[in-house]
Order: sequence, then structure tokens, then C-alpha cells
Amino acid sequence: MPLINMPEFSGTLLDEFAARGTARIDTPVIQPAAPFLDMAGEDLRRRIFLTESETGESLCLRPEFTIPVCLRHIENATGTPRRYCYLGEVFRQRREGDNEFYQAGIEDLGETATAHADARAVNDAMQILHNLIPGRRLNVTLGDQAVFEAVVRALGLPGGWQKRLIQSFGNNAHLRHLLMTLASPQAETGLSPELAALLSQDEAALIAHIDRTMEETGYSTNASRSPREIAARLKEKQSLAETRLDGSALLLLSEFLSLEMPLSEAPAALAGFADAAGLAMGAALVTFEARAEALADLGVDLSKVTYRAAFGRPLDYYTGLVFEVSRDNAVLAGGGRFDRLMTLLGANEDIPAVGFSLWLDRIEQARAR
Amino acid sequence: MSTITIALPSKGRMKEDASAIFERAGLPIVAVGNERSYRGKIDGHDDIEIAFLSASEIAREIGAGTVDFGVTGEDLIREGLADADRKVEIAARLGFGHADVVVAVPEIWLDVDTMADLGDVAADFRSRHGRRLQIATKYWRLTQQHFSGSHGIQLYRIVESLGATEGAPAAGQADIIVDITSTGSTLKANHLKILSDGVILKSQACLVRARNAEHEGDARIAAIVEAVRKAV
Repeated sequence: MPLINMPEFSGTLLDEFAARGTARIDTPVIQPAAPFLDMAGEDLRRRIFLTESETGESLCLRPEFTIPVCLRHIENATGTPRRYCYLGEVFRQRREGDNEFYQAGIEDLGETATAHADARAVNDAMQILHNLIPGRRLNVTLGDQAVFEAVVRALGLPGGWQKRLIQSFGNNAHLRHLLMTLASPQAETGLSPELAALLSQDEAALIAHIDRTMEETGYSTNASRSPREIAARLKEKQSLAETRLDGSALLLLSEFLSLEMPLSEAPAALAGFADAAGLAMGAALVTFEARAEALADLGVDLSKVTYRAAFGRPLDYYTGLVFEVSRDNAVLAGGGRFDRLMTLLGANEDIPAVGFSLWLDRIEQARAR
Repeated sequence: MSTITIALPSKGRMKEDASAIFERAGLPIVAVGNERSYRGKIDGHDDIEIAFLSASEIAREIGAGTVDFGVTGEDLIREGLADADRKVEIAARLGFGHADVVVAVPEIWLDVDTMADLGDVAADFRSRHGRRLQIATKYWRLTQQHFSGSHGIQLYRIVESLGATEGAPAAGQADIIVDITSTGSTLKANHLKILSDGVILKSQACLVRARNAEHEGDARIAAIVEAVRKAV
């Protein structure tokens, strides 16, 4: 039986949000579908409820709150920093669980003291859950996209490979596949003699050739990728194909991805890892440590928080912190930092953003037990 | 004893080829009423009914279990039905209607030969062009399975295309396509090339059985499958 009514602890939850100085924001249930598909990818399509307006616009039932809240913020142009809270129904086709359920959460937009804002988001989620489900042990797991990116950059791989690895962070099966590809020499990608001859020329001649071919085939008027872009990537690809990750670098990357420890030990362990590996990870480690300190300042026991190096989300707008609070394998809260999202959604300036959402149906079940 | 319904394509080569197979299988199809009728039966088998439907309706009806058998392309089965293997069984591949569902990109994308190349291009696309990579196709499900499931590529948008899909890249409606091709000549004429690992499905016409519980132990069902298999 789907949850039709607001969960009975909704009032308590809204009080928690108000006590934290957040402003409640409402968004329409029916949303344009394009921003969700653009941000999360086409895979989302079969998990949302899509429909079409009479005029052909693609619409969906709100599958989550972060994007609508961010869009509302941009539309209202109220300036930053702003902390919003929301509570409402979301709609998703799930294999397990109902297709409509309630979510609530906080989005913290424009706070430039990012370590503090990160820590506050994690702490808020933990405290609220602690108050809603008193006396139960909660598991908190934390990861950091920026630390992984720093490791990849420090390994000195060509740009194309760095991009591939960073893109797949959080998708462990795909990441393992990439690492295997990097480790094993591939069969030559078999450049045709014609293409090899083209590549041996200078770039200008290559671009001219591509341009000419586009003209001749009537493709140029609507071409999305320009001759210059194709030529540049062809050169990049040549260097990619010749890259092998040497054994020790591969080992380092695997070693990093297997790191899992209490957050209290993580800053020292990461610094030790960087030293031993001879990797310059600079700013990412500073941010990581500052966040951990800010969490400790808020009274969080860092020995009860798990840092897992491979924990991430394979969406390109996540930039740093990701975290999850769970109990008995059910994720009750998930959040993270998404500094890239606001500009992707059309904000004119960079707006740092961090937030989390609470799965109210699972919280209700956890309370009932 | 209940009637067994077999759905066959209602027109064209598929109809002729399917009828020929049934003929060879000793199950000759005769139209009920006039030649253009959409109902038929099998000579000498009063308990078998033929429904002539469009190929994509056959996929839908067989998925819903409203017909017992159908002859249609595997592409339409896999595209049209979620969890196809749970709902239907491909009882026989019939050796005609061969066509591949493929990922094709503009020939002039000299740097793109594989799905991994395409993944790289897709990852950068938005920052370079202000939008995601667009794929024109009528095969939403197969595209998602291939891109997201098999190759970890998430960042693209599907643009629905119900016809003349090969023209979409040159017309600027999309960057690349996922479409069905039998000889590749239309792709070539439109200056598109198939990626080396871009064959999503090698499709052909199939005899497909709905996994209906009442088929269990029905000797007639097994006999039809057996006869058609021998005729291929």
C-alpha cells in the first residue's frame, strides 16, 4: 500500500528544519522532464513517470527535489547564500518499494565556506535521523570525488584517460573494466593507411581535409562537432591508445580505491598514502581534512563515521563530498556537494551547493521496528 | 480444447516468408473469407486461428499473452517488452528478415570507432556544445541497455525518430543514430558508419511463444514448435 498521507512525523521534521534556519520551498509536482534527463542521463527515463503536454512538451512527475529547488532558486534570483528545506511527494518507478513516496531535505546554496557547509549537511542529516529514530545505531559513510580526482591527476595519465576514470567514479564495475583496459596492452586500433597518412600531416592540413569532406558530403551546415574538434580528439586518441598504466601506478590506484577506515584516521592515512606514493594531492587533502575538523567541531564522533575511498556517484555534477546514512542496509539519507549543478541548470555564476535528502518511507519503517 | 492463436505479419515480405515457412511445416495457412481478410486458419486444424497483425502489434500482443505464438522481428520483441525473456520464449529463428540494430556515427568523425570513443565524446559534449549528445532512434530500450548497461555511458539524450532516421545527423536533429540496417547501404548513402562494437542486436524474424501457463503439457504447442523448427 503506497504511502498516501504525509508521514506522522512530518511536523517534527519541519520543526527540525525551521530550527536550522532553513526556508521551506515548494515546487510543482509536474515538472519539465528535460532538466532531469539532461542532468542524470537517459537511464532515468524508465524510472520516472513521463507524459507529454498537448503542445508536445515532455513533462514528468517530480522524481526528486534537488533540481526543482535549484531551478526555483535561479528563477527567483534571491541571491545567496540561501538554505532551503523541502518536504513532499516524489514519484519513481522502483523495483522495490512504492512508486510514490515522501522525501524531505535541505539544499544549502551559495555558502562559500565549503568545509563548514559540508560538515553542517552531514551533521544535520545525522542529528535529524538520530532524533527521529532515537537510540538506534546509524551507519554513516563518506566519500570524496575531489580526492579521487586528485589521485588520478597526480598519476600523470594523459588527459583523456583522466577524464574516463573520473567520469566512471562511483560506477565500480565500469571503473574496474577501465583499470583492466589500462593494464593490458590492447590490440592496435588499426588506423587505415589513409588515416595514418592524414595523421602524419600537420594539424592544419588535417582540419582542412575534414572540412573539405564535410562540405562534399553535405554534412557541414548542421555539424555539431567542428573539424577542429575532430582533429584535436584524433590526436588525443592516438596518445591514449599508446598509453599503458605501468604496474605500480595501477597498483596505487587499486590500493587507493580499497581504502576504508574510520574518518578519524582518514586524513593521516590519505596523507601517508600520498607521501608513500609520491603523489602531490595538495588542495584536495587540505579540503578533506578541514571538513573532518569542521565535523569534529560540530560534535560528530569521527571514529563512528566510515570513509570509503571508492564511494562516489557517477553523475558529472557531483564535485566533492558524498555521504550516506543507513541502518540495516537501508539508506535513510543521502547527500553530497554538487558545485557544478547550478551553472548546468542555467545560473549565471558559480554557486557552491551541498545538500541531502531523507527517505521518509524507509525512516517510517525504521521507526516502526 | 482451447483455440491456439498465431499472430502473423499482415503484409509484405514478412507475411509471404512466414506463410512459406508454415506451408513447409505442414501447416498451410488459408485466409478466412477473402484474400485481404485479417483472419486466417490452418487447413485441417480447426483449433488453430491465425491473426494477421502489424509487426509491432505482434510483439505487444505476445508480451501480453493474448496470442499464443507470433512471428515478428527479435528487435521488436526486445524493444517492445520489458523483461522480454521472462514473458516470451524465442521458439525458432526463421532465417529471414535479417537486420542489425546498430550505433552509427557520421563517417567524418574520424576519431570515433568504438563505444569507448563515443563515451569520451559524450562526456565532453555539454561543455563544448551546451547540450548533451543527441541520439536519433526509435529503439529507446535497446539504446539505453547498450549505452548505459553495457558501456557505462550515461550522458546523452534520445531524440525520438520514427522514420528516415539516417537523415537526422545531416539535418541537425541529432548527432548520431541507433537504427536497424540490413545491408548498410542506406547508412553509407547518408555518410554514416557503424561503430566496431556498435552492433546492439543481430535480429531476424522469429517464432515467438508467449510463456502462458496453460501451454504446459499441451502437446499441440510442442508440435507446432517442432514442425516450424524442422521447416527452417
